Amino acid sequence: MQVMVDAGDGDVARAVAARAPGHAEAAEAELYRRFAPRVRLYGLRHLRDEDEARDLSQQVMLVVIEKLRAGAIRDADQIASFVLGVSRTMTKDWKRLNWRREKLRETFLPASMAGVATLDAHLDLDHLEACLGRLADRERMVVLLTFYAEKTAREAGRELRLTEGNVRVIRHRAVERLRTCMTSR
Amino acid sequence: MTDPCQRPMSDGVLLDYWAGDLPDGERNTVEEHLFACADCSARLQQIAALGAGLSTLARRGRVSGIVSRGLVNRLQRDGAHVRMFWLAPGETVPCAVFPGDDVVVTALRADFSGVENVTVVVTGPDDSPFGRFDDVPVSETRGELLWANPAALLSGMPSMQLQITLTSTGAAPVELGRYVLEHSAATPHS
Repeated sequence: MQVMVDAGDGDVARAVAARAPGHAEAAEAELYRRFAPRVRLYGLRHLRDEDEARDLSQQVMLVVIEKLRAGAIRDADQIASFVLGVSRTMTKDWKRLNWRREKLRETFLPASMAGVATLDAHLDLDHLEACLGRLADRERMVVLLTFYAEKTAREAGRELRLTEGNVRVIRHRAVERLRTCMTSR
Repeated sequence: MTDPCQRPMSDGVLLDYWAGDLPDGERNTVEEHLFACADCSARLQQIAALGAGLSTLARRGRVSGIVSRGLVNRLQRDGAHVRMFWLAPGETVPCAVFPGDDVVVTALRADFSGVENVTVVVTGPDDSPFGRFDDVPVSETRGELLWANPAALLSGMPSMQLQITLTSTGAAPVELGRYVLEHSAATPHS
């Protein structure tokens, strides 16, 4: 397993494709460990729903592993691009894939592909609330409009009578302040 | 690869990507990089986790301070119980927290013609400071300023009178209104 952890993405993909007895399972688990969180982030960014993003990551990884097993991926070194391509296609077709989603849910998922914890599972929300309270009013409004109300800089700016550029600057500063606050207790 | 990133993306770019502020071409480039780079992907994960935490706080009504109408609308759309009290300048309004409330929003109405930013000062009994918000952007067309507090916080407060003063920000500040909230600690019968 340690060998897989130290290997490059292409090497891991090749190990999955080779289906070598005793190694394939570890390779698949490693591939999943590396790419499922990235697919989930992609899903969260585009679907804005944690459950759907989690489903997407599982389905994308199932397809990727199936393709590798079937030898359908010619250049294993391009595995990251391939995973992104599958993520894009599946996200685009998400609604049309509803039937398939249900079907795939019923298929076998190895324990190593079990659900991923929610994004904020390790955050101390009480501390975050205190940190949020220490932000300037504009900063607090901008981060809440960005992360909760899911407004772009232009939309938030229209609401707060700020330019798009101003919102970006305030947002960047606010996030830095929150991160600093969260790490200093 | 497990190697360190050779071309780390800036936090600003990652934030812009997450907020949907990048044009298509740049967004595609960022996504290509993120899928191939564990380091930058992990950094984006941190930003996303922070955002998820902020969303969780908001959904639970743990939001304090001046908020925008869009934020209140979103809270209501998400099913949060938002209790609102509207005050015109010079008005005294009784207020309380009811069972099931998540957030209490005080809407201060005023004439914001020609005003871009205001200062809000809230004082309790004997002029004790209760809250202050500086340089708050206001909208002339909306004609209101929204002050949010978690219901859980207010429900623990004793009965008291809160005085709110709204003043324009600038070289020559002008008082735009005074408001009084008569907070009752006793939970009203619903």
